[in-house]
Amino acid sequence: MSTSLADHLRSLPDESLAALLQLRPDLVVPVPADVAALAIRAQSRVSVSRALDGLDQFTLQILDAARLTRDPVDGTTSVDGVLALATSGPNRPAPTAVRAAIDRLRARFLLYGAESALYLVGGMDEISPYPAGLGRPAAELDAHTAALCADPAKLRRTVLSAPPSARAILDRLAAGPPVGSVPPGALQAPAVGTKDEVPPDDTNGGAPTGSPVRWLVDHRLLVRVSGGKGGTAGMVELPREIGLLLRRETGPLGPLSSSPPEVVGPVREPKAADSAGAGQTMEVVRHTEALLEQLAAEPAPVLRSGGIGVRDLRRLARATGLDEPAAALLLEVAYAAGLTGEMDLPGSVGRYGADQQVLPTAGYEMWRAGSLAQRWEQLARAWLAMTRQVGLVGQRDDRDRPITVLSAEAERAGAPAARRSVLGVLADLEPASAPDVEEVLALLDWRAPRRSRGRETAHREVLTEAATLGVTGLGALTSYGRLLLAEATASEDDPSDDPLGLLTDTEDGGSAVRALDTLLPAPVDHFLLQADLTVVVPGPPEPALAAELDVVTEPESAGGASVHRVTTGSVRRALDAGYSADDLHDLFRRRSRTPVPQGLTYLVDDVARKHGGLRIGSAGAYLRSDDEALLAEVLADRRVEVLALRRLAPTVLVTPYQGGRLLSVLREAGYAPVAEDATGSTVLSRPKARRAPARGAVATRALDPLATPRLPLPRLLGVVEQIRRGDAVARAARRAPAIMRGGAPDGPVPAHGHHDALAVLQQAVRDKALVWVGYVDAHGATASRLVRPVSLGAGYLRAEDERTEMLHTFALHRITAAVLEG
Amino acid sequence: MSGGPLIVQSDKTLLLEIDHPDAQACRMAIAPFAELERSPEHVHTYRLTPLGLWNARAAGHDAEGVVDALIKYSRYPVPHALLVDVAETMDRYGRLQLANDPAHGLVLRALDRLVLVEVAKSKKLAGMLGNRIDDDTIAVHPSERGRLKQALLKLGWPAEDLAGYVDGEAHPIELAEAGTDGGRPWTLRSYQREAVEAFWAGGSGVVVLPCGAGKTLVGAAAMAEAKATTLILVTNTVAGRQWKRELIARTSLTEEEIGEYSGERKEIRPVTIATYQVLTSRRGGAFTHLDLFGARDWGLVVYDEVHLLPAPIFRFTADLQARRRLGLTATLVREDGREGDVFSLIGPKRYDAPWKDIESQGWIAPAECVEVRVTLTDTERMAYATAEAEEHYRMAATARTKLPVVRALLDRHPGEQTLVIGAYIDQLHQLGEYLDVPIVQGSTTNKERERLFDAFRTGEIRTLVISKVGNFSIDLPEAAVAIQVSGTFGSRQEEAQRLGRVLRPKADGRQAHFYTVVSRDTIDTEYAAHRQRFLAEQGYAYTIVDADDVLGPTLPSFD
Repeated sequence: MSTSLADHLRSLPDESLAALLQLRPDLVVPVPADVAALAIRAQSRVSVSRALDGLDQFTLQILDAARLTRDPVDGTTSVDGVLALATSGPNRPAPTAVRAAIDRLRARFLLYGAESALYLVGGMDEISPYPAGLGRPAAELDAHTAALCADPAKLRRTVLSAPPSARAILDRLAAGPPVGSVPPGALQAPAVGTKDEVPPDDTNGGAPTGSPVRWLVDHRLLVRVSGGKGGTAGMVELPREIGLLLRRETGPLGPLSSSPPEVVGPVREPKAADSAGAGQTMEVVRHTEALLEQLAAEPAPVLRSGGIGVRDLRRLARATGLDEPAAALLLEVAYAAGLTGEMDLPGSVGRYGADQQVLPTAGYEMWRAGSLAQRWEQLARAWLAMTRQVGLVGQRDDRDRPITVLSAEAERAGAPAARRSVLGVLADLEPASAPDVEEVLALLDWRAPRRSRGRETAHREVLTEAATLGVTGLGALTSYGRLLLAEATASEDDPSDDPLGLLTDTEDGGSAVRALDTLLPAPVDHFLLQADLTVVVPGPPEPALAAELDVVTEPESAGGASVHRVTTGSVRRALDAGYSADDLHDLFRRRSRTPVPQGLTYLVDDVARKHGGLRIGSAGAYLRSDDEALLAEVLADRRVEVLALRRLAPTVLVTPYQGGRLLSVLREAGYAPVAEDATGSTVLSRPKARRAPARGAVATRALDPLATPRLPLPRLLGVVEQIRRGDAVARAARRAPAIMRGGAPDGPVPAHGHHDALAVLQQAVRDKALVWVGYVDAHGATASRLVRPVSLGAGYLRAEDERTEMLHTFALHRITAAVLEG
Repeated sequence: MSGGPLIVQSDKTLLLEIDHPDAQACRMAIAPFAELERSPEHVHTYRLTPLGLWNARAAGHDAEGVVDALIKYSRYPVPHALLVDVAETMDRYGRLQLANDPAHGLVLRALDRLVLVEVAKSKKLAGMLGNRIDDDTIAVHPSERGRLKQALLKLGWPAEDLAGYVDGEAHPIELAEAGTDGGRPWTLRSYQREAVEAFWAGGSGVVVLPCGAGKTLVGAAAMAEAKATTLILVTNTVAGRQWKRELIARTSLTEEEIGEYSGERKEIRPVTIATYQVLTSRRGGAFTHLDLFGARDWGLVVYDEVHLLPAPIFRFTADLQARRRLGLTATLVREDGREGDVFSLIGPKRYDAPWKDIESQGWIAPAECVEVRVTLTDTERMAYATAEAEEHYRMAATARTKLPVVRALLDRHPGEQTLVIGAYIDQLHQLGEYLDVPIVQGSTTNKERERLFDAFRTGEIRTLVISKVGNFSIDLPEAAVAIQVSGTFGSRQEEAQRLGRVLRPKADGRQAHFYTVVSRDTIDTEYAAHRQRFLAEQGYAYTIVDADDVLGPTLPSFD
């Protein structure tokens, strides 16, 4: 068959071949050597499986129809045959739809050949063994069943006579897949009186027949097959004929729908959806900034297992007023957008690498300088492309450890594709229509059932995240979200248009940014002042205004507008930052659209009046006296000029130098100062003689250097033992047999050494005798050692070295010789 | 982008720019569900709270309407998450209903079965629920009606109380709008009428009106509507007498029909006025006057000054859920944060009018708030600086330096009825001697109090020094000037009450003055800052002057 596909491909014009490659791009990686290779690859399981992944449910069903209508002899089918089968059910699709589906299959060369003799590409049966969820024909399974199926009337009677519990099993298998595993023991008769008991019936002579599955198997409606995890006993299969019989209501291929399921969800006012989304984008940007500011203030340490710990996430979430999932999402997005990064903790570089922490990057500064829409776009793009499934954060991994933010466990390569497909579904609907989650999932399931199966959770998460990020508003894709998706898809699908990425990275952003910009409030440069000392900025403040407010006020509420409050503390802070009272008055007058309330003016003046009422400085020592004239004299004295004295008060002078110096200089100049301590009492000092540290006298040592020191008995015994052991070592080395010591290259090595050695060792193990073992060490040098073998086996000798009291392991192939000691 | 007057903040506050042409319409639209938090001169702040949203639900507004109002008037895009949150919160009200089942009596009925399952499992409801009647209904012990509502509110699933009310013992009460005993004819003001209608339609609930806006009349009108025996709970005896006077003047009730249940007298009549104090007094750990609640088949219970309702009264109220309850207050803000209990036990807010609006309608005298900062003498400053921290406020508040300033302020308003209010008895005595005016304090007998107040009303006495006892519910119609020398650490509630003292309508529409004398650079100033914030948030003009400007001779000015 593969040759025929190759022949077929060979005969194609270049354009058609190119079209095939366009539809199945995986065929050209790497570029096949010739058409035969292309054909083989096109029929490979992997490639066919990929081609099937992209097909919608209807097309797959038509493909199943083609498989079912194959001629058992030559394996061909025909368009007419497929058409006949597909339209045989009660809800028959339009023939044009079926033909279109066949055309799609042919374009991908899943079907090929003439209309009347269509071949199926190979490998299909491996991918899904049961076309349309139907089992194999009875003839392939079991002769008795085949006989039953050959008699339609009897078959029908048998099916109808099935007890309800058995019928339920039949119906489930008929809906597909047609095989079921049977729990062990289900084929045995159940205990009498259990609910699974099937009443006795005539066909079986009135005896209890056991479980429903047993009944079905006994009546040849199910066939036991091999395979499955449970071994041969555990599987049953519903033959194709019976499956078809049970599917009378739905049609042989099951429920068919040639068009995607209808969406009945509401269609929003496009403006309302955009507006809700735009409101959300402001929140996202604001929250992200707040989160990163928190990270900057207190960076989160990276866990050994990667990611940020649960406690840090909780802290960040609480500080920004977000719930944890939202905080996790924004942290992941910010990381993906390059706004945060890890940095080694200084001084922590150790054996296992450095301790790291997550904090905002330099890119964060750039990001902050952008407009709201640009900032959002950067985040949203990062979200679209990031290979992270944030919904996993907080769940537990296989080893029952919590999955943390930014950890490797939340990495999912399929995440971007999931986002594309979900948003793609929304984008293909009417603008601003807001299907509910189930509808979106149903649509996804129809569009690419093989791809969406098992990813429902991921898809749900995409919808939640899109709402959180403001890509959707009121459940509908926003206009700017649509543009963003289109831009992101375009730049990816068609890199030839913009190989350098110039178009997407233009200064003012793409069309999505422009569209979003019109929805977002314009920055304002003024505020409204009120008597309760609040400052209301009716919109996002200009950077200059924001900076001023940052210094002068406390933030109180944020959102579309921001409310700040002027407090004593904030005015003091402004004064500390270098503003004067007049500057503040001027600032309020200049920026405010409303008259400055008297209370505010009063507050500023009042705080300014007190500001600086206390002064702080540093000094090395002070000089005080109740006699002001005396202090004046000291201050004017040229001889003490070196002290750089400064008058703080009529009775206090200070100097930057230490008290000792002050004292001595003043004394030299003829004054009579006295030092005082913290409590004000005088500190009297007398000159102190210099002394070296104390040391012991000679007299404490032994008086008679010639007297023999007395040693205690235990110590003597220890010394003796030490000596004996040393002696033994020396003797042993000397006594090593000649063949051991004969490591000399010229010395004749006994040819029988290795073979004998084994016998010697075995004997030694039995006798627990000491043996000299000669061996080649890891460096190739020969050595010998006196050991007591313990065991021999698995290519190793384990032996005890009595001297070092250690257990050694020798590889047998390295042992060159063994000689019994003595 | 619409240029609406409203800005929705992500912390669920709403900023309303009141100079905007649509501001009035917007205010009407959001008032039902958002609580007015601050109303300074340019931008009013409303807050969306679960209680506020449930109040709106109770009043028949739905989430759709709330979201529409927010979107319609919002200047900027409203975040999606906030809209979702509003809708979800509102959706929680009324999923559970308390209703009367003909067969099983009081039942908790669920419109959402899962919610019922959830709450039925909660430990907080243990013992309140009876048998499960069917999947959606659980019997409730009638005695637990109030506590159940309280507990459900805490669980976040406030129940709608549809179980109805007993009519109570009928008693004819009419409003005497023609005037009794030769009094002048009068009519209920429009907002009073609206308040009564809103209350009656809701069955039970709270009417929020500022001091001086005629809450007593709202109570009287509600009684006339109920035409049943009524129990009125007030804060103290003087306030009770005030109620009695007003009821006799404004309704068909006669003196014989109104009883006083207080420390002095224990009369139970068709309309009985009781004080919180006597109800919450205990002997041997037991409340001795609880029988009052069962003494008659009351058709209506009126709670005056709901925000001061003491905790035991909440407990009694939990047992009164089958009677109509009317709460009257100037503010729903409770210092103890038990707003939720007011909601579940007395009822949702039925009517609310911002002070400024009522003032602009001319019912309340416009007030000017002035803070006078006194510089302490050096001796006083030194004494203050070295005193213990807990003595600081008392020393700052009672500085003698304040006395001449008070006199100077009095001299500014010759001939005006003036109240001097303080918290420290010693200081009040000093003031009384210094100014040579009578004092009303806690130890003053009720008789003496009444005499002084009467004299003040008639104008015999121009100036009165009063202590904290004057904070609540005494009616001094002609006080045009209030001078506050010390307070209770800047409590918001106290401020509202004291301002209320001077906000009663004046015969000739003169301006009211509210002076606060504080000591500069002391903790007194800090409390004054709270006061300034509170009053400014209520929209009053607030100026700060130095005592020297008050004391010193006016300098000749050259133009």
